[in-house]
Amino acid sequence: MSKRVKPDDIDSVIHERVRLAIVSALAVAPELSFNELKETLSLTDGNLSAHSRTLDKAGYIVIEKTFQGRRPFTTMRLSPKGRKAFERYVQTLRKIINEGDKTVEDSS
Amino acid sequence: MNRDEAQARMSEIQRIMERATLWTLLPGTAAVLGGLLVLVGCGVSYSMFRSLDFAAMLNMPVNKQVTFCLMWFLIGVAGVVLEAVFTSRAAKRQGISPTARSARVAAFSITPSVVVAMVLTVKFLMHTYPKPEEIRYIVPVWMMLYGTGVYTAGLFSIRPPRVLGIVFIAMGIVALIAFENYGLVSAALSFGMLHIIFGLYILRKQRQDRAP
Repeated sequence: MSKRVKPDDIDSVIHERVRLAIVSALAVAPELSFNELKETLSLTDGNLSAHSRTLDKAGYIVIEKTFQGRRPFTTMRLSPKGRKAFERYVQTLRKIINEGDKTVEDSS
Repeated sequence: MNRDEAQARMSEIQRIMERATLWTLLPGTAAVLGGLLVLVGCGVSYSMFRSLDFAAMLNMPVNKQVTFCLMWFLIGVAGVVLEAVFTSRAAKRQGISPTARSARVAAFSITPSVVVAMVLTVKFLMHTYPKPEEIRYIVPVWMMLYGTGVYTAGLFSIRPPRVLGIVFIAMGIVALIAFENYGLVSAALSFGMLHIIFGLYILRKQRQDRAP
């Protein structure tokens, strides 16, 4: 028998829309550059920087900063911890969909 | 969070995954090679009827007309095959299925307008006495309909294909209104040069964005 979803089951780091978008994109591409992510998700530089920092702090993504000539070049990829958290989040969504009615208060 | 919100989140996740997948699958090399093939086709066409006007094909003997049509048909098929091969290779490299929903959506988006262009082409060519003014429509019609297809496919992807689609449509309109007697030039500039520029842009961007 499956347990009902509780507010704590929802990962607040991933639950935020922009961070969820970043993690979702990185879940299918082994690695994406800052510009690729920005364009794919239609984000501003500041928005992407701020949210990727939060994900980095949580250990969900790995940010690598290098230089191409004189230009800074940033790539991001999902860490194993991030992938697990994403899979857990998707499972939680599935559970809520399957359970039907209002099951959990918004934890964001 | 209720069921509807969870469902909306799942759809959003799916949409983003598709967009991210498409970005890595854009076949820059196929666009460059396809563009080069079109340029070769334009060169061969010019050597066949010594004119920049597509309607000049009507001055050739029937067997040459058939060869001419067959050549362009084969160039079209080669373009599709190149795209399929390079997209599959890119998908394999990225560990993505080449028949992923995103790739299918892109293919299905472009198919209707290409089919319409093919039907119109056949209609223009199938008269007992083909009319030069109709033959001159072939290139602009292909430019506009191909552009429409690429733009539609780009709606499920990122900006560059949408821009390519719009440029094709705009060039098609200009070709139809002002340059209908210069079909070979229009084909060379759009299906040839524009594809090469687009392919090189994608390749450069992918290289820039991949490597340090």
